[in-house]
Amino acid sequence: MKLGLVIDLDTCVGCHACATACKQWNTSGTIGPLSDERPHGKDPSGSWLNRIRTYEVGDSPHSKTVHMPMSCMHCEDAACVTVCPTGASYKREEDGIVLVDQDKCMGCNLCAWACPYGARELDTDSGTMKKCTLCVDRIYDLELPEAERQPACVMTCPTSSRVFGDFDDPDSEVSKLTRERGGQQLLPELGYNPVNSYLPPRNPKQQEKLKVSALQGVKQLVNRLINR
Amino acid sequence: MHPAFSVLIFTVTSGAGYGLLAWLGLGQTLGYSQTLTPELQLIMGVIAMALVSVGLLSSTLHLANPKNAWRSFSRFRTSWLSREAVFAIALYPLSALYAAAIFWQWNSINVLAGLCVVLALITLFSTSMIYASLKTIRQWHTPMVPALFMAYALSSGGLLFLSVGYFFAPINNQLLNICIGLVLITLALKLVYFFWQGKPQGATLQTATGFTQASVRLLDAGHSAPTFLNREFGYQVAADQLLRLRVLMVLVAFIVPLGLMFWVEQGATANVLVVAWLAMMTGLLLERWLFFAEARHVVRLFHGEQRC
Amino acid sequence: MKKNGQQLPQFEDHAKQEYRYTTCYMCACRCGIKVTVEDEKIRFIQGNPDHPVNKGVLCAKGNSAIMKQLSPAKLTQPLIRKPGTERGAGEFEPISWDKALDLLTDRLRHIRATDPKKLAYFTGRDQMQALTGLWASQFGTINWAAHGGFCSVNMAAAGLYTMGHSFWEFGDPDWENTKYFMMWGVAEDHASNPIKLGLKRIKERGAKFVAVNPVRTGYQAIADEWIAITPGTDAMLALSMVQVLLREGLVDDEFLIRYTNAPQLVINTPGKQGDGLLLRDSEGNPQVWDQHTNSVQSALSAQVAPALLGEYEAPCGTPVRTAFSILMDKYMAPEYAPEAAAKVCGVDAQTIERIALEMAHVAFKETITIDTEWTDWAGRKQTQFIGRPVSMHAMRGISAHSNGFQTCRAIHLLQVVLGTIDCPGGHLAKPPFPKHIVPHIKPAKGNAPNTPLESAPLGFPTQPEDLVIDEHGKPRRIDKAYSWDAPIANHGLMHMVISNAVEGDPYHIDTLMLFMANMAWNSSMNTAQTMDMLRAKDDNGDYKIPFIVTCDAFHSETVNFSDLVLPDTTFLERYDTISMLDRPISEVDAACDSIRQPILAVDRDVRSWQEVMVDLAGRLKFPAFTNDQGQPKFQDYKDFIINFERAPGIGFLAGWRGKNGEKSLRGEPNPNQWQAYIDNQCFFKFELKPNQRYMRHANRDYMELAKEAGWVDSTDQIVIELYSETLQKFRLAGQGLYDGPQPTQEHHKQRLSTYFDPLPFYYAPLEQALTDAQEYPFFAVTQRPMFMYHSWDSQNAWLRQIMSQNYLYMHRSKGEALGIKDFGWVWVESHNGRIRAQVKLMEGVNPNTVWTWNAIGKQQGTWGLSDDANESQQGFLMNHLISELLPGQAEAGAQRITNSDPITGQAAWYDLRVKITPVSDDDKDLAGQNLSWPRFDKVKPLPNFTPASKLSSYTSHINVNLKRGWRDIFSRGAK
Repeated sequence: MKLGLVIDLDTCVGCHACATACKQWNTSGTIGPLSDERPHGKDPSGSWLNRIRTYEVGDSPHSKTVHMPMSCMHCEDAACVTVCPTGASYKREEDGIVLVDQDKCMGCNLCAWACPYGARELDTDSGTMKKCTLCVDRIYDLELPEAERQPACVMTCPTSSRVFGDFDDPDSEVSKLTRERGGQQLLPELGYNPVNSYLPPRNPKQQEKLKVSALQGVKQLVNRLINR
Repeated sequence: MHPAFSVLIFTVTSGAGYGLLAWLGLGQTLGYSQTLTPELQLIMGVIAMALVSVGLLSSTLHLANPKNAWRSFSRFRTSWLSREAVFAIALYPLSALYAAAIFWQWNSINVLAGLCVVLALITLFSTSMIYASLKTIRQWHTPMVPALFMAYALSSGGLLFLSVGYFFAPINNQLLNICIGLVLITLALKLVYFFWQGKPQGATLQTATGFTQASVRLLDAGHSAPTFLNREFGYQVAADQLLRLRVLMVLVAFIVPLGLMFWVEQGATANVLVVAWLAMMTGLLLERWLFFAEARHVVRLFHGEQRC
Repeated sequence: MKKNGQQLPQFEDHAKQEYRYTTCYMCACRCGIKVTVEDEKIRFIQGNPDHPVNKGVLCAKGNSAIMKQLSPAKLTQPLIRKPGTERGAGEFEPISWDKALDLLTDRLRHIRATDPKKLAYFTGRDQMQALTGLWASQFGTINWAAHGGFCSVNMAAAGLYTMGHSFWEFGDPDWENTKYFMMWGVAEDHASNPIKLGLKRIKERGAKFVAVNPVRTGYQAIADEWIAITPGTDAMLALSMVQVLLREGLVDDEFLIRYTNAPQLVINTPGKQGDGLLLRDSEGNPQVWDQHTNSVQSALSAQVAPALLGEYEAPCGTPVRTAFSILMDKYMAPEYAPEAAAKVCGVDAQTIERIALEMAHVAFKETITIDTEWTDWAGRKQTQFIGRPVSMHAMRGISAHSNGFQTCRAIHLLQVVLGTIDCPGGHLAKPPFPKHIVPHIKPAKGNAPNTPLESAPLGFPTQPEDLVIDEHGKPRRIDKAYSWDAPIANHGLMHMVISNAVEGDPYHIDTLMLFMANMAWNSSMNTAQTMDMLRAKDDNGDYKIPFIVTCDAFHSETVNFSDLVLPDTTFLERYDTISMLDRPISEVDAACDSIRQPILAVDRDVRSWQEVMVDLAGRLKFPAFTNDQGQPKFQDYKDFIINFERAPGIGFLAGWRGKNGEKSLRGEPNPNQWQAYIDNQCFFKFELKPNQRYMRHANRDYMELAKEAGWVDSTDQIVIELYSETLQKFRLAGQGLYDGPQPTQEHHKQRLSTYFDPLPFYYAPLEQALTDAQEYPFFAVTQRPMFMYHSWDSQNAWLRQIMSQNYLYMHRSKGEALGIKDFGWVWVESHNGRIRAQVKLMEGVNPNTVWTWNAIGKQQGTWGLSDDANESQQGFLMNHLISELLPGQAEAGAQRITNSDPITGQAAWYDLRVKITPVSDDDKDLAGQNLSWPRFDKVKPLPNFTPASKLSSYTSHINVNLKRGWRDIFSRGAK
């Protein structure tokens, strides 16, 4: 299996629900807690696994605002796995999820240096690197209703801009969406083969350029016989 | 990149240590070291391994969770840091054997010396590959980085070899000239490196986000205070400041030592070489600092940088 | 994708976990949530998949409720200002609930027995106006309102006076069927998750999404077309599009004739009394010109074929014309032509034409029909619902202007001429709406000691007689709502209370009671001056507002200015109702309501305000709360909710009524009603039948249900009022042509004559007309971010990591022209003051507009934040630049005309105009420093306040790590 996410840039409104759902689930999840430094102080800074960055594409007045949620891409050729000296960082063979074993990480930061996407952050409290686990502690939990065996971010997204599935299955929704909407990798030129796929914004619905009647005002409103 | 002081110390001191050991071992295989007293050779060996040890200890200060540091040998298969750890540790028993060979005048001394040279160089290479293997940092991802790394180590190690050696023994101008030549080559490589890095190339904010047909600007990073990523990768030095620091670095790491070495060659006292070595070490610390400060990780693109 | 899970450890011990359902209250969306509780700690909060509002999703705020619950800013005990200390100095001492309530009861009892209106009771972000309004009514004070006057009364009132419902909780786009959706002035405004769900639906279905907003963020980011309108000019855009439609004959004349008052005959006698009123027969029915008989007939008859256009003569000889004729003349005028409109609203003429024609195309050429048998208002069987699938949504960007009422009416007009009201694909009402225009509730005027008001404090005026004024025409209410200043002020003017009370205009009060409102900070205009007013003393050294009581759950800036602080529970700690009598959570196809139940036990000395309200009502012996023996009728809030009936069988909760819970909507109190809700995930949903779904204003199948449920009083058709006779009556009063109360002051006459046009029109916002556009070239507005709800959420450790400082956003080219760099500091100045803020340049903004996120700036020392928190050091409020009075009205001798919509009194936040100058290096104030300005004194910590630690790591259980085996570590290669 090649598990990952599809993120739809056409419908993401940048609400941060996915970022906070992730924070909330994972702080009591398998790699928790996700600590917060100076939570009520100056420059609060905590450990988050998913961040939403907002860009403006194009120049005024033609600019488009694009919200780009970014979390671990669970790359096929994950450099973060290659560089890790302790073996804490690894990619599961069964499903491709890239994880950090919290018992083994020594907090050398090298994996963060290797990751182009900023997917890994050092947790100040534990001294270990934390990153998206693709909610491995949800997706296989048979005690959860089947519809809830999904990453927290996917479940919560109010615009359904996140989809979870198996990219190895050509009939899965993630595979179909990537094919049909032209899903993209970020920074593909670095060769990490990220699995998460971003669907580009769709072209605005092309409306017929309706011609204004050449004889303006000829079609006058008149009283028609209409019964109440 | 945020220059971590512990890492700067690590690379410069252990580099000098490996370099010194390499010169000692190379000297042995080429018939020079034997002209030094065994005591002097051992002193050099101990200084070399002491520097290496200080460096390695310093590097563990960089760890946020050092209790797992012992695990860093386990991924030799893929991780340059793991390899560096294995080789660095392996050098201890090997260098101990070499030391024993010096002390007890074993026949195998040449072989052991040669092996020490090779292992020292491999360790240097592995260390530099930790940085050079990262595709995310254009300034590091070049063969020039390991080349320069080894060159610094051999330069500073060599200058140390000569300083210590000439403290107790007469100056050998041939070796001095080899060292001068090595430092000059290192300087030349460094200048080529500066030229190469100056050419803008590689990923941009547009290729990073996939919007290549229009300008792309960051409107909001998703957090109004800095995060781990900002602290680790957001380090920024003004362009004119960087230029001044580079000039300073070249002066202190290369020009001043070269000048002093020439002066010794012309007849000045050998003690001047110690000053030259201290200057070079200071310069190399600055060079390491610049190595990090100039490094622009591609994650900066997502934080609004147009190119790295 | 099944997995045997054997290699994985048991991550969660579900045996120790419990699911509890309740309703979120991080904002006013009221989503259903499922809370996983473990060891009395919250493990996880997720959207309830079965809930009608959010259908399983949840926004950033809902997902962060844990941190709200753990906020160090929570109040822990009742407090009283230390005797002898100054108000606002922050010197409090704890007081027991008993003493606090005794103290308050005594004071209230005295007020009630002498002069009830001396109690001013105003509520903010709350969702329980039905209870607080009832309480105020029983107390006998007319001085009650919630926050709508400074929130969005324009939007609510315009809709209710036009079509009997509106946007937001009153109605929604038909997300399933609409093909063209236009959004006006919407940031992140309630219906937060439903709008997000809806936008996804329409994008999937290929509908076009147009967003009108000066800023391109949030929803606007994903719009197919973004219209960067100049703030306050949306009416011009809407009405110019109406001109295009009229010009091309692209209006739904069938809809207009059958469902609106467009064909009704209007008296046409300019300069005479009665001009502009509807022609009525002896029974008071409006009339139309029937084309069958060529005579004047009752407009309510089912037999007529009314003329939409024309001038006629009434039987008595009075010249009349159809309302639609007036409308035609009005909107065909050159001022509404696209070329002229473009100059005003900043949208080019081509776009105006095109959008109008696109909407007409979709409405008339892409009509949808749903085959269902239904009975119309006249009892006739119909076989299908015709849908014109164009829909709209509008919110505060329209409402918070002094022309907001007419602007909302203009948008509704546009919807109506396209025939898109309550039809498939159009704008659908949500039960209990639509209601008749308008409900027969008049605002109360009484003020008798120990006597409840004759009606609710707020109501629906339809004529000058309904105004709450005395015999001299002076306002009776402290906020001057329902006076000549703001005749249709249906939600009150909370933003004027403090200012008026201190000025003694119209009079001084005794006690100001505030619930969940931050009037001393971001909910006030003119914040520094408001703080001065709260501290103001008279010549005797007494406070001009003698006593201030605040109920809140957190340490807000207003808590600091209180004399008595009553701490509230958080939403996870209490029972609550989201009621059909109040602001329900209905969907377009179902009447819904819900409750909250405690998820966590209360761990400090706080009580829910609902309980306190019922307790005080019993102590004060309000008739509705007292039994025949003179004892409190209700034990507690839960008892009150079960047993209180507003009308026979109609209570606060509509579900599981009847003795055994077998009835819906109407039924006897069910003693087990709360448990029934808890057993059903805390919500109740009553689905409309297919024949009740659409055209409800003219649908007898629906109206019968609505009447039975108590939502409407009769099954008569709700005729859409394009032409508002209510407004015309007030206009006549302003012109001196009204047979009844008329204003005596010149400025009132001018306002009524000018703004109370019975048809919507565009006029420049009042403040802007009084401000030099050259000197103050920029419009300044705010919007709410998606992850914070007004002043809430800076006390939330997770949400504030997203934003702890706000920037002033500015168009890049304008910034550069002024020499302002990205993240440079600037002075922003208005007629009322100046502030210092940090700028962020951007592309996606109307070039003449600057904006920021609202309420991020906080006062140092509040909200449980450290003294150097970014919110107080770099964060800023736009409020300081805004005045509650129009420019020039603060001067001595001026009328003190409020900076509000002249029709509803809605606070005109977004009318602001400013100028911007970069901070120079030799600026004396704070040059080179990274600080915003003005700076305020630090607020002292409350007794027993525990500051937050510098590092927090929340978890509900120790994590179960997924370990990697040694064999795997050593054997694996690069992958």
